Amino acid sequence: MECDDFKSNVSDKASLQRGLSTYMNYCYGCHSLKYSRYKRVAEDLSIPLEMYENNLIYDGSKIGELMNISLQKDDAIEWLGAYPPDLTLEARLRRPDWIYTYLRNYYPDSSRPYGVNNRVYQNVNMPHVLEDLQNSLPKAEYDLLIYDLTNFMTYVADPTAEQRKRIGIYVLLFLTIFTAFAYLTYKEFKKDLK
Amino acid sequence: MSENTIGKKGLDWVDKRFPVIDLFERHLSKYYSPSNINIWYLFGFLLLIVLVMQILTGLWLMMNYTNTAEGAFSSIEYIMRDVDYGWLIRYMHAGGASAFFALIYLHMFRGMMYGSYQKPRELIWVGGWFVYVLLCAEGFTGYVLPWGQMSFWAAQVIISLVGSIPYFGEDLAIWIRGDYIVSGITLSRLFAFHVVLLPILIIAVVFFHILALHEIGSNNPDGIDVKQHTDQDGVPLDAKPFFPYDISHDFYALGVFLLIFCTVIFFFPEGGGYIIEYVNYEPANPLSTPAHIVPSWYYTPFYAMLRAIDFSLFGITAKFLGFVVMAAGIAIFAALPWLDRSPVKSIKYKGIFSKIFLALFVISFFILAYLGSVPPTETKNLLTKVFTIGYFSYFLLMPIYTRLEKCKPVPDRVGAVI
Repeated sequence: MECDDFKSNVSDKASLQRGLSTYMNYCYGCHSLKYSRYKRVAEDLSIPLEMYENNLIYDGSKIGELMNISLQKDDAIEWLGAYPPDLTLEARLRRPDWIYTYLRNYYPDSSRPYGVNNRVYQNVNMPHVLEDLQNSLPKAEYDLLIYDLTNFMTYVADPTAEQRKRIGIYVLLFLTIFTAFAYLTYKEFKKDLK
Repeated sequence: MSENTIGKKGLDWVDKRFPVIDLFERHLSKYYSPSNINIWYLFGFLLLIVLVMQILTGLWLMMNYTNTAEGAFSSIEYIMRDVDYGWLIRYMHAGGASAFFALIYLHMFRGMMYGSYQKPRELIWVGGWFVYVLLCAEGFTGYVLPWGQMSFWAAQVIISLVGSIPYFGEDLAIWIRGDYIVSGITLSRLFAFHVVLLPILIIAVVFFHILALHEIGSNNPDGIDVKQHTDQDGVPLDAKPFFPYDISHDFYALGVFLLIFCTVIFFFPEGGGYIIEYVNYEPANPLSTPAHIVPSWYYTPFYAMLRAIDFSLFGITAKFLGFVVMAAGIAIFAALPWLDRSPVKSIKYKGIFSKIFLALFVISFFILAYLGSVPPTETKNLLTKVFTIGYFSYFLLMPIYTRLEKCKPVPDRVGAVI
């Protein structure tokens, strides 16, 4: 099926914070973010380090550490049939619109072990972790929750995006001036050749 | 200026021991280029700049990269996240690879258009072709290093092509990989090629290419030999010194190029999946093959040729035959100086057949590039065969059509009317 359109806004810190909170409470039990560091996320999302440490680090890790999970590979294979993949780069691998559509397209299917299936990812192994939220929240609110979560995953896949674009503007400004002077120099020398 | 300034004294001291002034004059201020060269003559300079950029960014990447199967993928993410401006260095290097190929294709096309490979520039052309071949190897080995899914499977596909060689192919493939499948052993040897062997060869052959060029001088869009008409000091009349006239043009071109390049790396660093493939954000997994294995965009015309051969012939397997055709597609450029029998150099004065076949070459190249990047279907397979023939007919029929056609007379001097 076609994916729904998703426009990320990684400068919306409130959205990223809500997305982080959903991720840490519902996804992080199984899906690590092992290329990212707690401290980096806290700083980028303007969360005070102490508040972050007290509320969003569950296993006594130091704030400078990578975001690894406690789930053991052998246990996961025994319990779930597979080891849940790391999701740091999921938004770059599958693209944000895929994640946004995928999380909103679980449907009941009694033939599957968890009683759910997915329209985007047929016969997916993952249970519908957000089922209770989807059933209790109005559709618009659930969609917003998924939007924030996807937005956070977009950020964590490419944390330098904002900085990159900010620097990029200055680089292009400098190059425009450089090119203008290079052009004038070229024109000046060209006069000799007439 | 006084004769006894410190700068002058210092320069004299050095010049008596190393010919700096002579070198400056011979290669820059008294190196003459034809007065009628156009924007197609800017890409050589830009290629040199990109080469320097790749060496410098590569050096900095190497400081933080780990060349093991266990560490490669996460070391790239370490560079992207934890190293100061690591993301910038990496995007410059990945984008630089694509820029390198875009520029070298334009540079090669200029030579084909204006017959720059013709006598007496055969060795300049063959040297340049060798740089291109080395660059293909450099691009391939570099592509494997991030150790993502596409890195792994591209290496697996390309090295297994060697295995299609009859009799000793399988043994050769194992020797190259150092293992029965692509593994960490393969990764670390490709890394050694990428950062030591190939760059040294590229720099050496580029040096040869430029030295050979400076001996004979640039061709031009009219294919006129400007050295035929000189003043009493032996300076060509229809030419200008490289320094400062060409170098100022080159710097203007550099500005324009960097504006485009920086727009890409700062705002579209993945280039829509063409510069950095999305599939490569998943770590290499020998147990799971991606749905479509696609090479980087700059190899897709040749990948299409490989796929065009889906039949065996005289007991030779389709895979080996495809490998031969693909290699021939790259190798055949080197034969151009001897395939072209035209009395004139430039496409401007060549006959209608040369124009038609050059157009056919360009069209075939682009269509094959497209076909090599999409999953095959029956119609697309047929088209791939047709345009592979189109591609090769430009080269293989050249000795015939360049002799048959009627050429226009070439003026004696730049701007002369006939």
